[in-house]
Amino acid sequence: MLSRSAERIYWLARYIERTENIARLVNVHMNLLMDLPKGVEMSWRQLILINASEQIFYEKYNVANERNITRFLLADDTYQGSLLSSLTAARENIRTSRDLLPDEAWEQVNEMHLFAKKNLETVANRRHRVIFLNEILKGCQRFTGLLSGYMSHNDPYAFIRLGRNIERADMTSRILDLASLLLSESRSDEVRQYETILWMNVLKALNALLMYRQQKHSRVNGDDVLNFLLKDQNLPRSISCCISEISECITKLPNNGDIPTKISELQNYAQTINTKETTQAQLRGILDDLQNKLGGLHNEITNKWFLIITE
Amino acid sequence: MKSIWENYKTDVAYDELMYSEFQSRPVSHQLCRYLDSLNKEDIDKRKTAAELAIMEMGISFTVYSDEGNIDRAWPFDIIPRIIDAREWRIIEKGLKQRLTALNCFISDVYGEQAFIKDGKMPGEIVNSSKNFRKECVGMKPKHNVWANICGTDLVRDKDGIMYVLEDNLRVPSGVSYMLENRIITKRVFPELFQDIDILPIDDYPTHLHDMLTSIAPHQNGQINCAVLTPGIYNSAYFEHAYLAQQMGAQLVEGNDLVVNDDDCVYMKTIRGLEKVDVIYRRIDDDFLDPEVFRKDSTLGVKGLMRAWKAGNVALANAPGAGVADDKVVYAYVPEMIRYFLNEEPILPNVPTYLCSNPDHLEYVLEHLAELVVKPANESGGYGMLVGPHATTKEVESFREIIQKDPRNYIAQPTLSISTAPTLCKSKLEPRHIDLRPFILQGQDTFVTAGGLTRVALKKGSLVVNSSQGGGSKDTWIINMEDK
Repeated sequence: MLSRSAERIYWLARYIERTENIARLVNVHMNLLMDLPKGVEMSWRQLILINASEQIFYEKYNVANERNITRFLLADDTYQGSLLSSLTAARENIRTSRDLLPDEAWEQVNEMHLFAKKNLETVANRRHRVIFLNEILKGCQRFTGLLSGYMSHNDPYAFIRLGRNIERADMTSRILDLASLLLSESRSDEVRQYETILWMNVLKALNALLMYRQQKHSRVNGDDVLNFLLKDQNLPRSISCCISEISECITKLPNNGDIPTKISELQNYAQTINTKETTQAQLRGILDDLQNKLGGLHNEITNKWFLIITE
Repeated sequence: MKSIWENYKTDVAYDELMYSEFQSRPVSHQLCRYLDSLNKEDIDKRKTAAELAIMEMGISFTVYSDEGNIDRAWPFDIIPRIIDAREWRIIEKGLKQRLTALNCFISDVYGEQAFIKDGKMPGEIVNSSKNFRKECVGMKPKHNVWANICGTDLVRDKDGIMYVLEDNLRVPSGVSYMLENRIITKRVFPELFQDIDILPIDDYPTHLHDMLTSIAPHQNGQINCAVLTPGIYNSAYFEHAYLAQQMGAQLVEGNDLVVNDDDCVYMKTIRGLEKVDVIYRRIDDDFLDPEVFRKDSTLGVKGLMRAWKAGNVALANAPGAGVADDKVVYAYVPEMIRYFLNEEPILPNVPTYLCSNPDHLEYVLEHLAELVVKPANESGGYGMLVGPHATTKEVESFREIIQKDPRNYIAQPTLSISTAPTLCKSKLEPRHIDLRPFILQGQDTFVTAGGLTRVALKKGSLVVNSSQGGGSKDTWIINMEDK
């Protein structure tokens, strides 16, 4: 497999995963706000905080209200972290990798892109936004399913899984970050009262509520949720599970050098995070650290497989 | 209710499907009967379905414009163009004959030049050809075939005869559209494929792959084939990706390849460097290798010609094959067939005046307003004059251009090229069409069943190129013998 193709496919998977994650995030935040009483100090602004895009946002918009934030995160093609931009980048990457993937995968991404462009204006309206986001989520799942069912689980597939899981681990850490932020910033009793609702929504954002219930048999509480989403070995969106998937792919790939060792270290690091004895602020530091380590892993992958020295 | 055929005119040119508004030719009886069973609304629905399929399948081509490159949906007409298999078998034979002779000619040009020495063609034509590559002299590609992939343009004049308009031997494109057109037609008119015996075309990528492996430098073990594309901004990128995918070959850009000191070509893979045996290159000679041709080329691969000349990699088409893709050389193809194959040409050429010949030039300048004048080396319908459709000013400015560089121009009578019914606003109207079959030659020779029918969508227009407002149709070769 060409190094250039490997890179494009890896990014394709990252962008599709990112598209899905943005859709989840907005969806869940919207639900959360509907559950909370008016006046609780929680707003749309938090969504741009976890994406670290506050500065870019205020360069374009004045007020961080629902209309502006959703427009920015979903439909703004000048912001490269938006859903539309991610989907466009995914389409460009698959358009230039069609020789490696089943036709249906291309058609799926192309259709989704056409759909998004056609319905951009509708996201201002809550009811239409729900429909829009659901369509996108379904589309991303179809894409994943198509590849899993139609494609040989070969090198290209390994790069798809790599990209998907790095992006996914990153997003899970950001969602946990958001939860910690909400809890540390606004510890008024009123918010505490709604803590359970908050954690339930975090689980929902990662499609993990049902699995949590089956696993923990307890009412939803912050510490258990954190541990579940950080360390569970079976939940597809937990950080540990993502790292295991990454590890599996990397072991299969040729010339992997010392990357497997580094991944073991990362896995140990995640497994030994002690949520009980950390403050919310410390936890945010740990999550930050995790994100940086994932970024480091990305650089290792780039150097190992995408940049081939010819002589 | 008005018929979709109302006022259908068959007096402008030979119509491929109709004798008149009221009478279909035998090849199109079944299609016409079927169309008559649909109402306008049904037909519009099919048209919309086709457009949707094209959008979703992402079939596109790129148009260069001042505002940057735009990806446009492929313009497609749902009414197929039909040819009787009995006629097609003769055309197929003629196409094989023609490409065989052309390959003999190219081998000869880079070898003994007997054709010229025996006085069949002035040597000046080869020497002054932009596409003659002196670097290729003495090379002997496998099976003595230089042009492995050829797209020959055919048109039918009002006499009902199919003429060869030109042979595209450099990097002919369009075959992916031929394949996609069939897929769309099957979606839009599935019923018709039950009742009519239409020859299948979807085995083209298999034949292409067989041909490519047949020209590999070695025949043992796995043969690595790659499609070399200029990249995603090329107008035919869609096709390059499509063919690579269909063949299971690697789609590579110049940067993915490297020629090492052993004069072998390698591609940069996640496993390190991997050897490449056959390259189906979709890059013009000029850009192929900055070491030999244009120094500023960033699309090609440094050292590729070295590797090819050392016999370590096969290139299709071979560098230098374009010497026969020249509208002046075209005029000599019938003579090549007689000379090299000792046969009479099966497919006729369009009468051609060579401006390099003083007698011809005189005639051309006197009759400019009636003729079509073409530059010898352009493709895509650029830089030509269609006399009867041009203003006096355009004719006069062309007169000067030709006189400055007569070698580079040829003229042909303006043909009244055939028409086929084309859907225009829920009504059928005749539009001019041509046909580009694709011929593969390696160890064996293969011709597609039909080809890409291009249609000039603008009323009265004779220009079928997609870059200039042309579209395309599915092409059916149908077996009628049992009917």
